[in-house]
Amino acid sequence: MPNPLSDVLVIVPAHDEEESLPATLDEVARKAPGVDVLVVDDGSHDRTAELARERGVPVLRHPVNLGVGAALQTGFRYAVERGYAIGVQLDADGQHDPAALEGLVAPVRDGACDVAIGSRYVTRSDYRAPLARRLGMVLFSGVVRIAVGVRISDTTSGFRAYGREVMEVCRWDFPKDFPDAPLLIALARRGFRLQEVPVTMRRREAGRSFYTLGKSLYYPYKNMLASLMALLRRPT
Amino acid sequence: MTFLSRAQIIVALGAVALALVVLDLVRRRRLSEEYSLLWVAATAVIAVLGFSTPLLQALTRGLGILYEGSTVFAFGLAFALAMLLHLSIKLSRMGHENHVLAREIAFLRLELERLRDGGDRGNA
Repeated sequence: MPNPLSDVLVIVPAHDEEESLPATLDEVARKAPGVDVLVVDDGSHDRTAELARERGVPVLRHPVNLGVGAALQTGFRYAVERGYAIGVQLDADGQHDPAALEGLVAPVRDGACDVAIGSRYVTRSDYRAPLARRLGMVLFSGVVRIAVGVRISDTTSGFRAYGREVMEVCRWDFPKDFPDAPLLIALARRGFRLQEVPVTMRRREAGRSFYTLGKSLYYPYKNMLASLMALLRRPT
Repeated sequence: MTFLSRAQIIVALGAVALALVVLDLVRRRRLSEEYSLLWVAATAVIAVLGFSTPLLQALTRGLGILYEGSTVFAFGLAFALAMLLHLSIKLSRMGHENHVLAREIAFLRLELERLRDGGDRGNA
């Protein structure tokens, strides 16, 4: 039987993740054997890139920190240039269980959707996010539903599978810092179909979240404005 | 002929001095011609308004402003806003260009590493 993940590229954006990245990469190799992995080192100052290379994982290294969205976009370009059919975004911090990869990829491969979003809230799970984050999720889930009529309970989920066409489009046009609600609106407006897939998520094991305090003030403003702009822009 | 007020003279001379500084910066290649345009235009307008009382008065009346000084300030403020917006736009574009370049470097570096590794194996 051919490996169901042979044309899938797992893209791991990483910024100063030397503590959790090795375990994450090892877990991917163990639970999803044979899948290709790419680490996008977003300007780390620690051994992130080195540790990935030691495991034989190719690393694209931004010389400066550009943000998680830009890191993902770099991964898309790599995936498209090398002919992968599906790109899966997986966080370096060990939040996402690689065992769920096949389930996440399946609807994209079957043509049921173009973007599959691994969500912890489709079914009940023991994960409890901090209050501010929960409020943000409810807010932007509502924004997406009103804007494009798609029900996505967790717009911030960083565990997603993108089909090839989506990656081709996103290679050129993609939010730099937070690839969340505005991205989903922009993709839906282009006619791409989004679907949520239930996954269980774990707590961060180490390292720092991309969503820091300073950004938590800027985040709602930026995402609101960007969501509005995604609606006003004509899909090209 | 109306006499120039002291404030008017100071404003006008200040504008001329600024224009000279801007032009000198261009001469020494510290400021690109592109950016000097807005500065030179602004200082020219302020200087003309400063030296020519009738023009300033006519403009002030025409715009419905009560006091001539406000006209000069209004033009100065308009210029400052235009310049800031211009810089914000430039900055956004440069940020985008930076991203593209950083990404390009990342790809080139990976390619270089691959070539080097392949070369090592070939020699062994």
